[in-house]
Amino acid sequence: MNASFVRFLSRLLIVCLIGLPFQVNAGMIGTDQVVSAAQAQAARAAVLSQLSRAEVAGQLQSLGVTAQNAQDRVAALTDSEVAKLAGQIDSLPAGASSTGAILLIIVIGVLIWWAIKK
Amino acid sequence: MAKAAAHCRAAGKARVSAGFFFAALATLCLSGCISFPQSEALREKPPAGLPPHVELTEVPFHLQDDYLCGPASLAMVFNAAGISSATVESVKPMVYLPGREGSLQAEMLGATRRTGLVAYTPAPQLEDVLREVAAGTPVVVLLNLAFKWVPVWHYAVIVGYDLEKHQVIVRSAKRPRDEWRFEFLEYFWQESGYWSMLALPPGRVPATAREQDFAAAVAALEQAGRPSEARESYRALLERWPTDLVGLIGLGNVEYALKDVPAAERAFRRASEAHPQSAVAFNNLANVLATLGRLAEAETAARAAVALEGPTLPEARKTLDAIIALRAAPR
Repeated sequence: MNASFVRFLSRLLIVCLIGLPFQVNAGMIGTDQVVSAAQAQAARAAVLSQLSRAEVAGQLQSLGVTAQNAQDRVAALTDSEVAKLAGQIDSLPAGASSTGAILLIIVIGVLIWWAIKK
Repeated sequence: MAKAAAHCRAAGKARVSAGFFFAALATLCLSGCISFPQSEALREKPPAGLPPHVELTEVPFHLQDDYLCGPASLAMVFNAAGISSATVESVKPMVYLPGREGSLQAEMLGATRRTGLVAYTPAPQLEDVLREVAAGTPVVVLLNLAFKWVPVWHYAVIVGYDLEKHQVIVRSAKRPRDEWRFEFLEYFWQESGYWSMLALPPGRVPATAREQDFAAAVAALEQAGRPSEARESYRALLERWPTDLVGLIGLGNVEYALKDVPAAERAFRRASEAHPQSAVAFNNLANVLATLGRLAEAETAARAAVALEGPTLPEARKTLDAIIALRAAPR
């Protein structure tokens, strides 16, 4: 056994021992379950949420966000926010058409202006 | 309307929009199919208890370059909430979506949480926005500068108002101080469902807070991985609404996460006393008591959680089994 492996092993043991008093932690129920308790079966919602989170993170990546950043960004959203975004990021109303939209506004503005003056 | 991405290039064309606004207004007024119920209500009956003129001059201005009105608006309200290091550049990676050339509402809220602030969306009322400003909190609003069918979304920050002049004071696009008539704001604001948001420092309760919504906002901050900030806001929430269930469970969970186990016990005990039908309160109390080594009390609490059944029954069973196993184990 070389020295660095022994060092690693002892660090691992220290971490495990520190964590020991909190091992019942697994049984704690999160605040989000109380928040969503009124809405639906929490367990089912949690599974769906995991799927949606992965989906939204993938969509963020496809829109130019790095993988790690996408994970962090999705982690900051609530389940209901994730559910709203899932599958809809691409079909958002604004699109990449902002220049076109401005041109359209000018054209329509001029038309209306012209109609009023007439 | 959680789907809107805001585009700031349009804001640079504010003059075009303003010209268009008055043209459209004239047309619609002539045809008699436009009204501004919120602005009219404020004109007819000024809300009680609101000072007539407020301007939060201390809110700094960040230039909203093309497409960056989301990060710029957030940088302004983050600065106002005490995060002095926030800039457009530091906020951009948290909220800007290159493929959409804009920022989504949900991510505006998410970025606020990642900064350690509570993200709260007020009721869709101009009066509520004015009340928040009067209480010293600048408000981010989402506007559609074009039409329902070709939206051009834009974020602006309301930093003041004047009830007599019937105006709001706004930081928007490249203009650090604009005065907009209430009707002007209301017209562009309606498409977003009068959406607005606040970035609140930990421990601060919004002036127009609704119990359930504010509790959910603090829980979202906790979920985003900011337990110590959430702890302060849970305490403020419980000062206002001492028996709020989300507040009590949330406070217990963050105290536990921050390893203050006795404080967690107090919170869960309060929760189980105020809400004797909450299985979560008893389950988490049982876990905390087990952590403290008080296994007999823990078992009693766990049995209460199991007896209450409900959607968290599987977790409560697991807790009870673990405690029974611990009690049986040789010490």
